[in-house]
Amino acid sequence: MTTKPQPKTAEPPPSDLIAIEINGRSMQARKGSMVIQVADAAGIYIPRFCYHHKLSIVANCRMCLVEIERAPKPMPACATPVAAGMKVFTHSEAARYSQKAVMEFLLINHPLDCPICDQGGECPLQDLALGYGKDVSRYAENKRVVADLDIGPLIATDMTRCIHCTRCVRFGQEIAGIMELGATGRGEHMEIGTFIERSVSSELSGNVIDLCPVGALTSKPFRFTARAWELISHDAVSPHDCVGSNLNVQVRGRRVMRVLPRENEAINECWLSDRDRYSYEAVNSDERLQVPMIRINDRWTEVDWSTALEFAASGLARVIDQHGADQLGALAAPGSTLEEFYLLQKLMRSLGSGNVDHRLRQVDFSDDDVAPVYPWLGQSIADLENLEAVLLVGSYLRKDQPILGHRVRKAQLQGAQVMAINPVDYDFTYKLAHAVITNPLEMVKSLARVAKALSARKPGILAQKPEWFSALEPNPAERAIAEVLAGKDRSGVLLGNYAASHPQAAVIRVLAELVAEAADATLGQLAEGNGVGGWLGGCVPHRGPAGTAALSGRTTQAMIDEPRRGFVVLGAEPELDCLDGAGARRAMEAAEFVVMLAVFKPSSATTRALEYADVLLPLAPFTETEGTFVNCEGRAQSFANATRPLGEARPGWKILRVLGNHLGQSGFDYVSIDDVRAELDRGQIAPSGRLKHRALAQRLSGERPALARITEVPLYAVDSCVRRAPGLQRTTDNPPPPVRMNARQIEALGLDDAQQVTVRAGEGEATLPLLVDPRVPDGCVWVPGGYPQTFALAPHGATSVIKAAGA
Amino acid sequence: MTAQTSPVSSIDLISPDSRARIDDSIAKYPPERKQAAVMAALLIVQEQNGGWLSTELMDAVAEYLEMPPIAVYEVATFYTLYDLEPVGRHKVYVCTNIACMLCGCQVIVDHLQKKLGIELGETTADRKFTIKEAECLAACGGAPMFMVDGVYYENLTPAKVDEILDSLE
Amino acid sequence: MNVIKRYLQSFLLFELLQGLMVTGRHLFARKITVQYPEECTPLSPRFRGLHALRRYPNGEERCIACKLCEAICPALAITIESQERADGTRRTTLYDIDLFKCIYCGFCEESCPVDAIVETRFFEFHFENRGENIITKQQLLTVGDKFEKQIAADRAADARYR
Repeated sequence: MTTKPQPKTAEPPPSDLIAIEINGRSMQARKGSMVIQVADAAGIYIPRFCYHHKLSIVANCRMCLVEIERAPKPMPACATPVAAGMKVFTHSEAARYSQKAVMEFLLINHPLDCPICDQGGECPLQDLALGYGKDVSRYAENKRVVADLDIGPLIATDMTRCIHCTRCVRFGQEIAGIMELGATGRGEHMEIGTFIERSVSSELSGNVIDLCPVGALTSKPFRFTARAWELISHDAVSPHDCVGSNLNVQVRGRRVMRVLPRENEAINECWLSDRDRYSYEAVNSDERLQVPMIRINDRWTEVDWSTALEFAASGLARVIDQHGADQLGALAAPGSTLEEFYLLQKLMRSLGSGNVDHRLRQVDFSDDDVAPVYPWLGQSIADLENLEAVLLVGSYLRKDQPILGHRVRKAQLQGAQVMAINPVDYDFTYKLAHAVITNPLEMVKSLARVAKALSARKPGILAQKPEWFSALEPNPAERAIAEVLAGKDRSGVLLGNYAASHPQAAVIRVLAELVAEAADATLGQLAEGNGVGGWLGGCVPHRGPAGTAALSGRTTQAMIDEPRRGFVVLGAEPELDCLDGAGARRAMEAAEFVVMLAVFKPSSATTRALEYADVLLPLAPFTETEGTFVNCEGRAQSFANATRPLGEARPGWKILRVLGNHLGQSGFDYVSIDDVRAELDRGQIAPSGRLKHRALAQRLSGERPALARITEVPLYAVDSCVRRAPGLQRTTDNPPPPVRMNARQIEALGLDDAQQVTVRAGEGEATLPLLVDPRVPDGCVWVPGGYPQTFALAPHGATSVIKAAGA
Repeated sequence: MTAQTSPVSSIDLISPDSRARIDDSIAKYPPERKQAAVMAALLIVQEQNGGWLSTELMDAVAEYLEMPPIAVYEVATFYTLYDLEPVGRHKVYVCTNIACMLCGCQVIVDHLQKKLGIELGETTADRKFTIKEAECLAACGGAPMFMVDGVYYENLTPAKVDEILDSLE
Repeated sequence: MNVIKRYLQSFLLFELLQGLMVTGRHLFARKITVQYPEECTPLSPRFRGLHALRRYPNGEERCIACKLCEAICPALAITIESQERADGTRRTTLYDIDLFKCIYCGFCEESCPVDAIVETRFFEFHFENRGENIITKQQLLTVGDKFEKQIAADRAADARYR
């Protein structure tokens, strides 16, 4: 039902090809390519450790030595460019002699205790030592020992095993963009490490585990728990961001032991963000809800499924009978599957209620009617790296969608200019060419001024609301942004997570559209989780599946503002998953009957679900359910369950299907998930990032409060699964939520000597540590959302910060 | 204590004088290749700091040259001319490479160790001398040799070593 | 003639004497019957009986949870769970052998890089209750502790041929 982005194929012109011969086989090779690349393409294996197709070539392991005719010495295949008529021998006696000699050197300082190494069984050094090593080591002297540094909760180190291939160092420099590991010392004293003990902070750091050809860098949560040969690998797709990274979920028995990337050049290449790699820890957590539970007279009882579903159905039916179907609402977590979204909205709409939404962190829904069929990236993910100019609006791309951040970084390395209009001067792994860092309201105006600066190219763009723009005068940074966007052939505007949750998100979208149109740029919108699936599955109040007309209803915000009498909550924790957590709690508490499909047992520390919910139905997480995730480029990826659901948990689509039966609705007689998919399939849907027409009804700017809160949900707080992954929770990206302001603001508020401050926003109040952060603009206070400590605070608008009592 | 600052600026650790000298070195390279001045910058701040580099100073250099700190540590740990621990007032680098070795540098090393009562790589208790083993200092013609505070002394004998060291403050 | 010969043979109970001669020979020959359980046949140092987990002389368990025995076991009799111990070493948290599944092939012993899992000379074991056939890490270690002297002597005797 969605489009497949066309990958760009670049066939080299024949003049670029030269003939070479490897092991007597003649073949064509592109000029300038290395021998190892040609051999790899021809399926001829040359042993290697330091060479990696995604990293730069350093030729320091020497394992890939090959014999080349007329070359006096063996040559490293990874660093020898092909030449016309070159004859390469990868397995000749001379080549094997060199390779064996190198292996002997590599093993001199490498411990020969594979049985206790976590890499044992999947170790390139171990494998190659079998082919190229000697039975017995001739080296009798003492081996080198390197002290281990703790480099964080995700990566375990065993640096004595390091063979100095420097893949991890190059990964930091070239891919992650922050060099955190380095080679210190020299000669025999060379060590790979951080030099001073500190955690690595990259959001892609886990990839060094895959890159490391020995057991020097291994996964800390997985450490010593299983062997590669015990694991069964299942294909899966990540639910945590709109990229849909391909996963290999590795299972032993019924337990998910680890998650590795599955190579997909069009999406995640061979990388995986730490969030996708380590979120599996949560599916094994003790907090999993395993049995259906119902609440009778404020006592929770564990019951069987049919009792629970009957109880849920009768409760919902009672709400409908007493108050009408419109008093029923449904909220779905953005990480649900397409099928779950579809069945949830089908159930709600067949009951007569259109109150169904998955956009829990959005507050401005005023452009719903004109929105495109789904929030599209405006191009394929792979095309992001061909952009020459990128404008990020309200996006911490690097942390929110790490894989997209990497693509944009690749573009930047090829010369693209990346610019931003953000509420915080986020740390990107590259220098922003131009940036406007300003308070949330001013951001909108800034974008409008960029549009105005571009109006010289297309004056028409201002025509609809000239009064908006008349008083605006672009500043130099905005002019520069406009100039770069217009000046490049391939430019793009990306609206990030913050832009989507902005109180004037609709205005931002219209302005971004104007900017994109005037600059001939692509316009990309980034949704949370499987948000695209939410739109396509019809889990939005104004449209049915695939943008068809359907019974309309209330948005998330409307359901919070006018609480419904009955709620169905699919996989979400209302307090933490809704931007307006306090409002969500109020709405839930006001409801008479709340059915929660939950992966985890509600904890009284973070939610009052145990008080307001009436039924808890154990839901299977992404590793235990089959389903489909649609990523931001519109690629639908279906997957099967990697393991059986824990305890009595069941896949969401099955729960909703049987709930439909219990509620007496017709059309809920699916036998398998394929029946759901078949019903949902609407064929190809042309993606579009464009609004259908521009509704500029809203005021351009509201009243600016003296101190505005900036609310953004950090990457390890985005969904219930991530919030329960202990490894991720301990990273430096996930400190206890602080209050951040710049020094001027702190001084202006007279908080110079405060360490703990009390923040009030809306009706909420929280006491949090204060951090001086020069990245926050004047007049703003940056308090992250998605945490139990902060959800009570209103996400937008006036905020006050005072010194905490007793601090 | 006031509120914690998240990104700490350490550039202030470099004195204005050193900064001026570092700027001179930076000027020798294209503006986008500031990092090329890292070796010179480290020597300058090492001099400012009494002959050794602290982690904070290396961080300062990294910030000043807009490099990742670890890249500066790599350089500082690679070259023997940078010291990462406090040293004496005079640094003696004795060459022990092949030419000096053949010409009897071991006698010089033994003499130095005995005279100062310390091993190679150590500093005397009065913080006057640090002796370090050096790789070839490119003065093989005058082997055995050592370098004291940047000055080469060649064709050494124990007597000559005594003379040189005694003449130093 | 033959008739007379046969007659005399049977008359003089010749066959009986012949038979008794066998008895008589055996009466004075060296006895080979082993009076089990009072007596035991000699066992080879390579005898493969009940499994044991060994310790180092300082009391540290040898097993490093490499799981090679689990991988090699043709009868899938071994189940291992492992974890990082507080001191950072790789250790088993569970080491079960199902003695009903085990075929006493000795592969586990052979695959062990640290001589932790061994098969002892002890073969006189039985189970009285369902489930007792699965012996745990603790039981295996106890067996090891009990027979360590013999195990060590057997390994030493066999060392030349390994």
